[in-house]
Amino acid sequence: MDIFAGLAHGFSVALMPSNLLWCLVGCFLGTIVGILPGLGPAATIAMLLPMTYSMSPTSGIIMLTGIYYGAKYGGSTTSILLNMPGESSSVVTCIDGYQMARKGRAGAALGIAAIASFIAGSFGIIALSVMAPPIAVFALSFSSPEYFALMALGLALVVLLAGDSLVKGLIALLVGLWLTSIGTDLFTSQSRFTFGQTSLLSGLDFMIVAIGVFAITEVLSSISDQEETQVLPVPKGFRNLLPNWEELKACRFAFANGSIVGFIIGVLPGAGASIASFISYGIERAFSRHPEKFGTGVPEGVAAPEGANNADTGGALIPLLTLGIPGGGTTAILLSALVLWGVKPGPLMMTESPDVFWGLVASLYIGNVMLLILNLPMVPLFAQILRIPVYILHPLIFGVSVIGAYSVAGRVFDILMLAGFGALGFAMARLKFPVAPLVLGFVLGDAMERALRQSLMMSQGDLSILISRPISAGMLIFAVGVLFLPLLPRFRRLKEAAS
Amino acid sequence: MNRRILLTTALAMGAALVAPAAHAQWKPTRPIELVVHSGPGGGNDVMGRALVSAIDEAKLSPVRIQVSNKVGGGGATAASYLSEKKGDPHVIGIFTSVWVTNPLVQQEANVSMRDLTPISLMVLEPALIVVRADSPYKAMAELMDAAKANPGKMKQSGGSPLARDALVRTVLQAKTGGRWAFISFPSGGERISALLGGHVDMMVIEPQEAGELIRSGKIRALAQVTDARLPDFKDIPTLKEAGFDVPNPPQPRGVVGPPGMAPDVLAYYVDLIARANKSAGWQKFLRDGILEENLLGPKETAEFLAKTETQMRGILTESGVKLVR
Repeated sequence: MDIFAGLAHGFSVALMPSNLLWCLVGCFLGTIVGILPGLGPAATIAMLLPMTYSMSPTSGIIMLTGIYYGAKYGGSTTSILLNMPGESSSVVTCIDGYQMARKGRAGAALGIAAIASFIAGSFGIIALSVMAPPIAVFALSFSSPEYFALMALGLALVVLLAGDSLVKGLIALLVGLWLTSIGTDLFTSQSRFTFGQTSLLSGLDFMIVAIGVFAITEVLSSISDQEETQVLPVPKGFRNLLPNWEELKACRFAFANGSIVGFIIGVLPGAGASIASFISYGIERAFSRHPEKFGTGVPEGVAAPEGANNADTGGALIPLLTLGIPGGGTTAILLSALVLWGVKPGPLMMTESPDVFWGLVASLYIGNVMLLILNLPMVPLFAQILRIPVYILHPLIFGVSVIGAYSVAGRVFDILMLAGFGALGFAMARLKFPVAPLVLGFVLGDAMERALRQSLMMSQGDLSILISRPISAGMLIFAVGVLFLPLLPRFRRLKEAAS
Repeated sequence: MNRRILLTTALAMGAALVAPAAHAQWKPTRPIELVVHSGPGGGNDVMGRALVSAIDEAKLSPVRIQVSNKVGGGGATAASYLSEKKGDPHVIGIFTSVWVTNPLVQQEANVSMRDLTPISLMVLEPALIVVRADSPYKAMAELMDAAKANPGKMKQSGGSPLARDALVRTVLQAKTGGRWAFISFPSGGERISALLGGHVDMMVIEPQEAGELIRSGKIRALAQVTDARLPDFKDIPTLKEAGFDVPNPPQPRGVVGPPGMAPDVLAYYVDLIARANKSAGWQKFLRDGILEENLLGPKETAEFLAKTETQMRGILTESGVKLVR
């Protein structure tokens, strides 16, 4: 079956009224799960799985996958409005999204997040439908040295996130790297920095760190600043609640960047949507004409990561649907769901179960449009949340954060951790340490350490494995180049002074 | 003094006489909590939910059974949660081999299976030794000879050093004198990708994970880590048949209760699990997952676990893992 015949068949399956309904149900549930911090798509799908036993595999996979990508749409909402990431892949959206909200552009930021999600999501789906098999081969060529280089590139971007003081940025990064090393070491099963606590054996959860240093810190800061007790500005009039033409134009490159970076990283089983969103944000900043404005509320800073985490979906489904390999927690559950329904996910699925394969692919096109229609009209409504007076809003953020932290694993210990990270973030804000490098170090550090140790085990301790492979060498050179980027303006000034 | 002993003995005898009637009497009165140690979608969680839906489908339990994820420490959090529920008849859990191995190597994991009440072993997970389809090795002996001829050069992708795939390597290395690298990856997807991409030479994999890749000709199975050939893989020799008579490190899964479970409560759960084991839903779960049914009672399960612990101790020491207990 060629691609067009396949897609045509897929649409005939996905457009059946029952499948349309399940697609809508999935997208709607996903959006809500995305908005609620703590409760992730993986847990939701696992809980709903028994309800789908009696459904046809096609309807079931359409609904559950809807939850998966719907959550990525919804995740940005609380990041932008409350500085509280709803999903791990929307953490980086807090940086510029919340600053836009503070400037009265909350509606614009939400609109841009929805549009970026739609554009990049569609790119990912088109790429999935036309070139899944060759892309799967590319993904397999990536091994530990390449992953190491990719993470090194991500970490190099820290120099761009550091803000005024590079030294403070690097200190924050080191703290992030240390935090991510807490837990059981994969290679030796020894515990590291657990201080005899069983609760620390599996390490710290990214969502708890992120909610702590973003949302709790924000609440603490505004309590301590007496002037901050007024309501955030929300402009009147429908037109002012949506992104304007200048803002959309500023995001042109970010839409493309998010689409491509998100898709490529999504295909790799060893990376994920959070890593994709960070790297896309870093690249956006590296190539921006005004990198110094990032972190103060630029629309590109929202468009790039939100695009990337949605393009990631199309990418992540490729190894799942063509090889039966799940790239992350959520796709692993989708895989076990397929097995449960009696579909055999693997290289033969495309030909043996065309209804499921093409029906799902077609439903992604439909779901993406549904999500845009569901989300855009909600933007002006959501923006009204900021009209709530601070003395009500802040306790609310506090409460939702605590529930979110508890719902990650159902442990009171995590609430204490949340409080700890809130205090850490507050201290950092007071001492003018940037928090983004800490979060970046936390996201990338674990995967980077693993990839380095795997590479060295493969080469029997020979470091040259990192530079003797072309993809890995290329990315490392790029990473070194990024390190010199902050010197460019200084260099230009010197040249001007000389002439 | 004497009189007191007499009295106690009399009371105990009286209790013993009344007890059998009480055994059949105990019934859960509120929802049962089923503790699993992995997050939603993990192996432990999938088994727990399959068990619950098999029980629900066959209407075997008068109360609801709720899966509760106590994630962390590779089972340590769940085990310590269960140990705190001493005397609570409405909590049970699903154990796997990490509940045995973890306390041996992690200081923090201080609850062993001996502290809890084993109820029933339910399944043993078989495994296959696989290579990529274009690998030059067509038989297990060729692979092992190559490993012996190139010490340290060949690679196997796998999970943690406590996982069964690492233990299979240890027993094979001890038997053959070959040496190869074991490279840990956190997720099954990454392990298979490393094999399919040609970055490693072999992998020990669960049949259910490998089935489709074998059928589509992407990978080839050389041997199965089982005592007898699996019906789905009739043409593939067991390790023993392939000429490698090594102990098969088991991957057990079963049901366990809190410490000091009362005999009547234990009897209730043993009966419930025995009936769940026969249910259509559970049998389908075993078939789909290519798992070996292996139902044992509480006493046999405890013996099995004690034997497994001794065996694991030996294998882990052999592979250079530091034991703390």
